[in-house]
Amino acid sequence: MDFTLNAHMPGLVARVTCEVGQEVEENQELVVLNCMKTEISCLSPKAGKVKEILVAEWDEMDVDVPMIVLEEV
Amino acid sequence: MIKVLNGGIEIVVEDWPGRVGYMGLGMSPSGALDNLALQIGNIIVGNDPGEAGIEITAGYCSFEFTEDKVICLTGTDMSATVNGESVPTWEAFKVCAGDQIKFDHFGEVGFRAYILIAGGIDVPLYLDSKSTCLFGSYGGFEGRKLKPGDELRGIAVPNQDELIGRKVNPKYKPEYKNVWDVRLIVGPASVPDYVTEEGMDYLFSHEHKVRHDSNRSGYRLEELPSFFFARENGGEGGDHPSNWIESGYNMLGAVNINGNFPTLLIGDGPTFGGLMCSANIIYADLWIIGQTIPGRDKIKFVQTTQEEAKQARIEQLQMLKKEDLVIR
Amino acid sequence: MSKYDVIISSLPATDSRKEIFFRQAGDGFLQVEYGAIPTVELMDSFRMLAVDAEIRKMNIPGLIETLPGVRTNLMHFDPLVLDYESLICYLTEAENRIKSVDDMVIDSRIITLPMTFEDSKTKSAVELYEKSVRKDAPNDMGGYNLEYTALCNGCTVQDIKDMVMGTYWYNSGCGFYPGNAFWWPMDPRCKICVPKANPPRTWTPEGSVGIGGVSLCTYPSDSGGGNQLFGRTIPVIQMKMLHPQFKESPFLYKRYGDRIKFREVEEKELNEICDMVNNGTGYEYEIEEGQIIVKDYLEFINREDVKAGAADLVRRQQEASKIIPRV
Repeated sequence: MDFTLNAHMPGLVARVTCEVGQEVEENQELVVLNCMKTEISCLSPKAGKVKEILVAEWDEMDVDVPMIVLEEV
Repeated sequence: MIKVLNGGIEIVVEDWPGRVGYMGLGMSPSGALDNLALQIGNIIVGNDPGEAGIEITAGYCSFEFTEDKVICLTGTDMSATVNGESVPTWEAFKVCAGDQIKFDHFGEVGFRAYILIAGGIDVPLYLDSKSTCLFGSYGGFEGRKLKPGDELRGIAVPNQDELIGRKVNPKYKPEYKNVWDVRLIVGPASVPDYVTEEGMDYLFSHEHKVRHDSNRSGYRLEELPSFFFARENGGEGGDHPSNWIESGYNMLGAVNINGNFPTLLIGDGPTFGGLMCSANIIYADLWIIGQTIPGRDKIKFVQTTQEEAKQARIEQLQMLKKEDLVIR
Repeated sequence: MSKYDVIISSLPATDSRKEIFFRQAGDGFLQVEYGAIPTVELMDSFRMLAVDAEIRKMNIPGLIETLPGVRTNLMHFDPLVLDYESLICYLTEAENRIKSVDDMVIDSRIITLPMTFEDSKTKSAVELYEKSVRKDAPNDMGGYNLEYTALCNGCTVQDIKDMVMGTYWYNSGCGFYPGNAFWWPMDPRCKICVPKANPPRTWTPEGSVGIGGVSLCTYPSDSGGGNQLFGRTIPVIQMKMLHPQFKESPFLYKRYGDRIKFREVEEKELNEICDMVNNGTGYEYEIEEGQIIVKDYLEFINREDVKAGAADLVRRQQEASKIIPRV
């Protein structure tokens, strides 16, 4: 089952802190958003493996836009 | 009284009208970004309209009460729950010691919610106000946003249970939208010396999207066209035509032109500077800015006059004093 | 006549002052402005402060505060108590009470601030701007703002440093962020002029010293900002009020009228002083009481060599403006 990490705030992608193929834990930081001029960590909702990265640095995000696709392991 | 479990994006203690009269020291008034939601909520729980409340930006936070309190949630609906059960907004209800209140996040309309607590919040007054100035790191609770583990003290109030069930009369409940009309008075940098007639027409005829880098120190809008400017450059104020020789800013709503980007000066922003101000939100519409969703909502400006602004102020004050503002 | 007109009223020029304009500036705000052409002349500020003192003495009902600048004064008032017409009457009366400022003597302390040119912190602020705000910003040529500042003034980097060091800087009134002042050169031959960053920086370290337009700023705390940076000085505010200098007020500068001058130090010494102020009680700020005697100031700026030097700088700035890359 695939699942996604979605933007929870409007903002710019400051950086992506994971790589495709990487196994991540629940609550591990995968993306940092710059929103209201503050950096906000976006954490993996559960453990999994990064399948696809949908965003790049400086992409503008609206709320609930998927950023990272993960698969359960 | 109330302890922070999860700090979310930004939770701060704010009152209204904030720290007035210190702009000459570089200290902006701060205060609730949606002063109308704060004031109505305070009235519902029997407080002075300007008493401090908890301002929640975007949501994603939770708290635990350490004593029984009557509270009211106003501003945008963040689907709050107490111990997992939905609770009303714009209506006083009781929470007991040990209850946990959890806020989801902002929805289709509105960006800030307020918790108003019967009796108020016991934080020290700094220069006559309980407001937090995030930029300056003073006021409110230790001059900063709240984080997990922080506990705010309350102020005891007699017979608070009598407040339960008081709610806003629906006809006075502010209407939240995604495209907001905001009334402006032009000046001091206007037509003909600073701005072109076409430039002002543009300002008033377009919908301006709120940028994602907006915060309590300023709300930023999308870029203006270069024909907005009547001058080639700012002379001794600087090279860009938005530059002027350093002057005081109307921190209560000026449309400050920052390069090509208009910034609405509110909350904790600068009180003085080298960028021209071309128009000003009227006092009665200031509350709107804090409810616009960055990166999504749009603002449509409507020109108004000093007289109309005064009238709108009076009407808002009268509304807050109306006997049928709060019903059961 | 445009529907966007904002000048509500004006007072004609007299022998002792420029024309005055009253501009609508918001719901409860009015801007008083000296002269039809915006220009930085300290005589305007001297007068503005004298008139401002009169306004304060009048205790005008409904007037909340005033924000004097070098050529403007912003009135903040409660429109439910005070209207534009009455306010303008009060302001006109205050103007009429001040005849000439030529004989004024203004209390003005001199604060000597240790400063390091091209220090590592402001350099990293410029680097960060390049990286995260604007790539290839023209004002960041050579990795710092000094070369661009020199280019805009038709002179060398050393000339810029000499001008910064070679004059007293005068505060026409505080504002912007807590404890910040706006500094203008007392010597018109040192009136460096440079565009502000566009868009502004998101981070400027506490203590940074820079110029935007012709105004110098010593940043009171970490903040955004648009001035072109050239160095760093010691703390000018302390909100926790623990160091003896800040026992009475968290701010080093008075609301207006102070002068500063700079003393160049190595970064190591600067950091030591900052540490003493932030974490101890050891450093004593160099402050002397003093006065600006307006008659002497007028005599100075009207000296032939001063006038010629100032005119030469303006000519070089005009030449430079034809070739500098716009921000």
